[in-house]
Formats: sequence, structure tokens, C-alpha cells
Amino acid sequence: MSITYLEAIREAQARLLRHDDRVFIYGQDVGGTFGGAFKATKGLAKEFPKRVLNTPISEDAIVGTAIGAAMQGMRPIVEMQFADFSSIALNQILNNAGTHYWRTGVPVPITVRLPCGGTKGSGPFHSQTMESLYAHYPGLIVMTPATVEDAYTMLIEAVTIDDPVVYCEHKYLYYHLKADKLPDKGLPIGRARIAREGRDLTIVSYSAMTQESLAAAEELAREGFELEVIDLRTVKPLDTDAVLASVARTGRLLCVGESFPWGGTTAEVIARVTNQGFHLLDAAPQRLNAKDTPIPYHPNLWSAHRPNAKSIVAKARALLRE
Amino acid sequence: MPQVPIIMPQLGESIAEATIVDIKIKPGDEVVDDQEIIDVETNKAVMGVTTPCKGKIERITVQLTETYPVGAVLGYVEANEQDAARFAKHAPPASPQKEVAEEIPVRADQEVAPARGKKIGARDGDRADGLPVPAITKGATFMSPRVRARMAELQLTTADLAGIMGTGTGNRVTIKDLESFLHNIDDQTAHEASKIRAGVADAMRRSWTRPLSTIGSSVNLDPMLKDRQSRDPKPGLGLYALRALALALAENPAAAAKFFGNRMVQSNSIDIGIAVEAEDGIMVPVIRGADKTSLADLTTKYKELIELARQRRISPDMQTGGIATVSNFGIFGMEWGTPIPLPDQTLLLGLGVGKKVPSWEETKNEFVPKTEAQITLSFDHRSIDGGGASRLLKRVIELLEHPKEL
Repeated sequence: MSITYLEAIREAQARLLRHDDRVFIYGQDVGGTFGGAFKATKGLAKEFPKRVLNTPISEDAIVGTAIGAAMQGMRPIVEMQFADFSSIALNQILNNAGTHYWRTGVPVPITVRLPCGGTKGSGPFHSQTMESLYAHYPGLIVMTPATVEDAYTMLIEAVTIDDPVVYCEHKYLYYHLKADKLPDKGLPIGRARIAREGRDLTIVSYSAMTQESLAAAEELAREGFELEVIDLRTVKPLDTDAVLASVARTGRLLCVGESFPWGGTTAEVIARVTNQGFHLLDAAPQRLNAKDTPIPYHPNLWSAHRPNAKSIVAKARALLRE
Repeated sequence: MPQVPIIMPQLGESIAEATIVDIKIKPGDEVVDDQEIIDVETNKAVMGVTTPCKGKIERITVQLTETYPVGAVLGYVEANEQDAARFAKHAPPASPQKEVAEEIPVRADQEVAPARGKKIGARDGDRADGLPVPAITKGATFMSPRVRARMAELQLTTADLAGIMGTGTGNRVTIKDLESFLHNIDDQTAHEASKIRAGVADAMRRSWTRPLSTIGSSVNLDPMLKDRQSRDPKPGLGLYALRALALALAENPAAAAKFFGNRMVQSNSIDIGIAVEAEDGIMVPVIRGADKTSLADLTTKYKELIELARQRRISPDMQTGGIATVSNFGIFGMEWGTPIPLPDQTLLLGLGVGKKVPSWEETKNEFVPKTEAQITLSFDHRSIDGGGASRLLKRVIELLEHPKEL
């Protein structure tokens, strides 16, 4: 049996619907026979009638409604068609959901699924990654699964925990990643994973960039370099200890993210390592992000815009020479 | 016709630059393959730069007496197409951000960049292209936070790292270099240095961060040796030197001033130390107000201090605060040396061993035997120059040759 990253997300939702009556799915075209823009909910409306609900085209209203349901004890899963469009619901997610427990003591256990990241030819409004934006605000948990297994177990955990969760699923991984079977249990939320052990340089990444970083590590292994690849899994909370432990082993740090370069998760990781682990660094920590421009349509430009195995190899090689 | 650049070659391991000392050809001259055309001087030897191929010298882009990095373009040869093509094939690939390499055309048939000699100091690349040895070693002094932390843990200083070959940018020592060096030490015999050894090592290392210089002259010991017979207790020659230095400095205390920041700091008291060999190190007891203490009293005080030193009862404050130190290295039989002043002092007076030498006596019109020693003055060149140091040393010699005044 072979399961894709997308199928793992669908399976997780099916399992949640099956085992928890409080769970319902709420989003544009998720119900009926359509099953969502990327078919992440395909077939679920038939198996779980009245629990996979189509919404109007208003992200603001969708999240607002989900927050209300969550306050009343439900466990809604909201699907955004594209992460890019969640900006319309920022007020609901950041100001309402993010602050509600702190203001009132009443938790808001919503899960907002964001199909993130680039695929060829998707252009500026259908390619963005938003995790750094949501991670900036208090009160939210931000998940960025990089494997089929994590896509499955982390979504289940997202719905189980009481805090509002922004679950960033990567569109490029939907069909590219496959696993033999789905696990019952994953690592705890907030714990990073060593995706590859090494001794010469630490790459900290998450989501699709973990896969690119692993490919880069494979390439550099042929030159005799052993790169350690840390998959953050959740960018918030951030597993600083795991990163510091890895940098203690290697002395060199490269952070790779698909988001825009200004601020963000990679900058946060470097800030923490320089604050707490300055004495561990044998070279200035580096980061690699997308370019600071809107995301281009053209496949060639898109390939040059975001980090990939090739550009990670080049950056890592330069850092190894320092 | 295509032009082939004449490149400053890699002249030996660890050679990064060379100075033009002779240009044997001029533009328009016909040259053969591998002909020596320019002499360059490195810190090791004078060597010849040869033509890359036969042809006509198109131009020379460097100047006599100027220094250029390895890989710099020195000029161009107008070559035939075959040679140009052959050279192009072997030309190192162009690399961005490296000024030295910019001047090496990738293809000899391309129009060459405007010729301009690259002078040392104008570069900011860290490696001459394609060369195994860095042309610039500015990175070599950089120590990463991790290397610093490890050094602090092991109580190492930068001087300890001097012998470690770095593999990082600009040959800087990376943590791996340090760890493998430490690993290799394990194979050798090592024992913990004594406290006094570590103290001397630290003082000398700190002192060596300054521009130190030494001058020397000869002094006639006979008057002193004669004078010594008439005194009780009998002072050692080192004490004569100490007393002479004290009197000379009393006349001109500015000579011992210390340069600090942008100030000259001068002590109010002529306190002078004398170096005494101890087990596995040196102790420097200080005699306070040496200009106001007679040679007889100096001798008594010195004996007391030596006795304390032998009993290891000499306290740190008895060894600090001096403005200069005397080292009588003559007691080891040495004629000459360049002792290092203490880190908080500007001056160190050294006295060599006395030797019988023939001295021309004008009045008798013959050589007569004389006991002569070399006397040296090491100084911090930030504080005092050769002239000032020489005048001080001359005055010391004058006083030593008239020991009754001491």
C-alpha cells in the first residue's frame, strides 16, 4: 500500500470525523461530490453527511463561524482553498481566536488548514507560505508537517488540542511524498525531528524545505560532508533545544525556509541560536529564503525564486568553507 | 593579435605577494617562451618571472618597488593564435568578487580588461583564484565564538593557536582544526606547567603584543671591577647597572614613560626590578627609589630580596610597580641578548659577560687588555625611539665607567 501526503490528510480527517462527534469540516466546496480544491476532503461528505459543510466565499465568515462553534464545544476543521486567501480571515484568526482564551478563559479549539507553498505556475496568489506571519502572533500553534506520517498524526493532534491551530500543508508535497503506511502516533507537538544525522553543518528547515534540504545533504555526502537536517515540524512552539543540541554537534547553522526573507522563522531560529548558543558557532549562521519579491508565474523564475536542493548545496558549501 | 597575460606565479608555499625589483624588458621587445623578464623579491628570495609564451611584450602594468599579490597581472604578451588558445585552455576560471582573478581573462581571444596593477591592500577577495595558498590572510586572525569559548575553557590564548594550521577562510583556525590539534597533542608527552612558568609565559606573551626593539653597545668593566674591590659589601655588576640606570632615569624620567591610549604615563618614583632566575621561571624583585638608595644599601636590600626569593617568600607586590628592569644575562656566560621588557614597563637593560679584549691605547701607542661587556637596552618603540634610547644607554655607560659616582 502506498499513501500520499494528501491522502494522509484526508485519512486523518476521516479518522477524526469517525471517532469524535464534535468534529466537522467547514470550507469552500469541501462538501458534495467536489471534495475541495485539492480533493483533501473527497468522499468525506458521503461518509459523514451534514458534517462536511460548504461555505460562502468569505474566509472572514468561515473562520468567524468556526470560532463560534468551537466556543460552544465543537472541533471545527476549516479548509482554506489557498493559504494566500487566509489573509482575509486574519482578524478572526489573530484577534479573535488567538486572544480568546487569554481574554475569557474559554478555549477556541479550531484547526485552520492552509494549503501552502509553491508549485510551478501558481503565481503570486496561490504559492505563498504564511507560517511566519501566524507564528508572530501569540495564542496560536503553527504546524508545518514535512512528511506523510507527520501530515497524518499532526492533523489529528491539531484537532485534539484546545488551542487554535494553523496547520500548514504543503501543496508541492501533496502528490510528491509517499509512505508505506500511516503511524498511530507521532512525536509530541513542539518537538523537532532529526531528519538526517550529521556532524559538519546543521540545516534547520520545515515543510517542503526539509525534503529539499535532505536532497542537498545527500548531494554533499558525496563530497564527504555529513549534514544534519533538523525538521522543526511545528514552527510554533519552536524546539530551540533540539536546534542548539544539533549546533553543538556541528558548529555551523543554515536555516532554510520557503517564506519571504524579511524576518520570519529562519530569522527567529538564528536569533535564538546566537542568543543562547553563540559559543557553539564556528561560523556566522546563515539562512536561505525565497526572494523578496512577489512569487513569479513562470516555472523557471519560480524555480529560481524559492530555495531548492541546488541553492541549498551552494549555500551550505560556502558555509562549510568558512 | 591576441594577448596573453603575464601572471605573478605562485612562488612557493605560503608566499602571498612579491615586490618587483627588476624589469628586464620593455614594451615591443620580442621574447621567447619561458624567458625570465621580471625579477621579484619575496620574503624568502629573489626569483624570476618568466613569459607564458613567445611573442612581443605588449605592455607592462606594474611598477618597480611596488608589491603585488600572487595571481596579479604583470603585463601582456602579444602571442600567436595557437599559443593564445593553449593558454586560454589552461587559464583558471574567472571567479566573481575576486579582484585578482578579474584580471585573468577566461579566453585569451576576448578583449582584455584595462591593464591596471593591483596593489596590496586594495584587494578584498580572500584567495587568489585557482591557487592553493591564500593571497590574503586577514581572516586568519578571526576566531569564531566557538573557538573563543573552547579557548576560554582550556585557558588558551591566541599565542597558543599560533602553531595551528587553519583550514577555514583565509587560513583561519576552525573548531575542527583546534580539536584535531588537541587530539594530536595527546600523543606527545605533556605535563602541567608550573605556576611561575605560566606566569612568565603570560607576561611575555602580553609584552610581545608591542613593537619591541633592542640597541646595544660596549662598556668597559675595569673601573667597576676595581671599584668593587674597595666596597663592602661587594655589589654585583647587575647592581652597578641597576644603580646607573636609576641615576640616568632620575635625570630624565620621561625615558621610562609608558604609552597608554594617547597618553604618556610617568611614574613618580624610580623603582627598578632585577631579573633573578628561579626554578622554572624568573622572579623580578623591585627596588623602590633606586635613585635615592646608595649602592651599598642597594646591595644589602638586594641580598635580603634574594634570600626571600630563595625561600619562595617573595610576595607579588614586591615584584610589581617597577618602571624598568635589569637583566644580567652575563651570568649565564652570554655576551648579547634581546630580553623582552615586562609588559607594564618600557625598558629593560641587559648586561653581557665581561671579556678581555685588546684595546688601542693612543698614549702608549700599543694595545692594552681591557675587560669589556656588551650592554643592551630593549624598549617599547611606541614610547621611546632609537635616539632617546641611545642617549639613555650612553648615559648609563658613562656612569658605569665612573663607578665612584654611583
